[in-house]
Amino acid sequence: MLKTLRKALSSSAGRAALEFLLVLALGMAFNADGAFFKLGTHRDTLRQASVYGILACGMTMVVITGGIDLSVGSILGVSAVSFSILTMHMDWPWPAAVLACVLLGAALGGVSGGLVARAKLQPFIATLAMQYFARGLAKYITGGKKISTYVTAKSGEVVIKELPSIFKDIDSRILWGNLSIVSVIFFVCIAVAWVFLARHKWGRELYSVGGNEEAARLSGVPVRMTKFLAYAFAGIMCAVAGIAQAAQETQGDPEAGKDYEVIAIAMVVIGGTSLSGGRGSMGLTLLGILTIGYLQKILSINAVPEAWRLMVTGVIVVLAVLTQRRRAK
Amino acid sequence: MRRIGKAWACALVVAALFAMGASAQAKWTIGMSQCNLGEPWRVQMNADIKGEADKHPEIKMVFKDAQNDTLIQRSHVEEFISAKVNLIIISPKEAQPLAEPVSKAMAAGIPVIVLDRDIIGENYTQFIGADNKKIGKAVGEWLVRKYGGKGATIVELMGLQTSTPGQDRHNGFIEAIRGSDLKVIFQADCKWLEPDARKEMESALARYKRIDVVYGHNDPSAHGAFLAAQSVGREKGMAFVGIDSLPHEGIAYVKQGILTATFQYPTGGDVAVVEALKVLGGQKVAKRIVLGSRIFTADNVAAGGEPLK
Repeated sequence: MLKTLRKALSSSAGRAALEFLLVLALGMAFNADGAFFKLGTHRDTLRQASVYGILACGMTMVVITGGIDLSVGSILGVSAVSFSILTMHMDWPWPAAVLACVLLGAALGGVSGGLVARAKLQPFIATLAMQYFARGLAKYITGGKKISTYVTAKSGEVVIKELPSIFKDIDSRILWGNLSIVSVIFFVCIAVAWVFLARHKWGRELYSVGGNEEAARLSGVPVRMTKFLAYAFAGIMCAVAGIAQAAQETQGDPEAGKDYEVIAIAMVVIGGTSLSGGRGSMGLTLLGILTIGYLQKILSINAVPEAWRLMVTGVIVVLAVLTQRRRAK
Repeated sequence: MRRIGKAWACALVVAALFAMGASAQAKWTIGMSQCNLGEPWRVQMNADIKGEADKHPEIKMVFKDAQNDTLIQRSHVEEFISAKVNLIIISPKEAQPLAEPVSKAMAAGIPVIVLDRDIIGENYTQFIGADNKKIGKAVGEWLVRKYGGKGATIVELMGLQTSTPGQDRHNGFIEAIRGSDLKVIFQADCKWLEPDARKEMESALARYKRIDVVYGHNDPSAHGAFLAAQSVGREKGMAFVGIDSLPHEGIAYVKQGILTATFQYPTGGDVAVVEALKVLGGQKVAKRIVLGSRIFTADNVAAGGEPLK
């Protein structure tokens, strides 16, 4: 018994699973008059973690190359407002709008990737610059206002348009109301990222670039391309997250996604993916996403005051990362 | 190095041309320093100022955005002083650090109108603002009139509780419902953010079977709560009340039947321009103007709401 436990804890995955179980135990202890045991609570937890989770998928790729992407929240914002303008105001069919947002996300992520891979800027600087630029872009596109179904017609008259059905569809639920579509989108992102990372040549190249860039170059890995693609992939994930965010808010907010990059990074790191690169996996990130998602929910159903939420979250993040470090060397 | 010098020279010439072109026609220039254009309510304030100023060709507005940074806003005032504008409108980020630059402007003979948030001391021409505590109290009184005797359970989705507007909207409200049979059963600091409000409302819904009223400290919070209730089919019979009444937010939500009521927190932008013209014309103005508020409900929204007493 003790031996199996020790064996389980000797892997990053085992430790990440333990963290998650401990947070679940916390929820059972502080169950807010039984609210924690309701199915709806878990459905909502999963839905609330989904947007962060989608960002964390892209973030994992970047972190494995030894980089970091601070621009994910801002690119999410650009995508949310673009999607809202295209569908609400310009009446584009939704597949075209999705495609446009994904291309835009890939382009913005690609610029960061190009700056890191080709111009050799440090990822922190390149993506910090992109964070500013993309936030500015979101504000420029919208004129600083939220994009809603309430539009000013050419005559100057203000009309309330019908909410495009895609917004309701993304924010709806399947399996007799027990699984949000937003969560389904999140699972698809996780699956796609997992296939790339664990089964594709590009995934192996990501690890080798993050592990030792010089060795990777000498063994013929296209280092620049590999890095560039990691940031472009993160950009696409931001675009998807932005669409999911807009659908849930029924509007495009130019401030959407502010500070989300910090949560996405915390999710990746808590799972056990190393910030110094070369180590980590999608499974670990999934556990990290669930751990943080559940922690937020447990604090919320217990109506814990803001000051305590921040302190508890800080302490738990540190504990989790310390646990991960113990035998990881 | 020489090339860089040339680029600088070009930039200077261009900037000078712009400056000259700008000061060509209008009789008076008014500098407006906004503390943070990241908030839709403040975007609306600037729009209100611009809307009113466009009616008066004799004035020219110069807008600056401090991006939520006190020191940037401080330098705005200094820039306006050295540009010798005729009047400054400032919506300050903080009371203490901006008092000094404002008094410097006054000393330089430039009148200053302080909009929305007050500054420490009295060294300005005029203060224009609304009273958050009064509005919070009005929300409470309105709900007591609506639910008093029947009893009601309330979810309060608060604005940032480290900010004065958030505290005032809470304190005024609590004061008004004290002693009545209305009870706050769940409250959370949603920091004015709609996604946060939706999450907190979901928690409240999971925890409580009966929720009669949701009081959001701003309209987006009430809207987020509505979406949460709607997704579990519990929005009917629940009242959603918000504050701010921006045309594209609260008022639109009332028109769509999403919010039961929204209480206006006026920007005062239009009033500021009218008062500025009086000051520039040499008239004497009141030291303080407290803006009135309006309530918008399904019944009166088409008619432009009703003023609060």
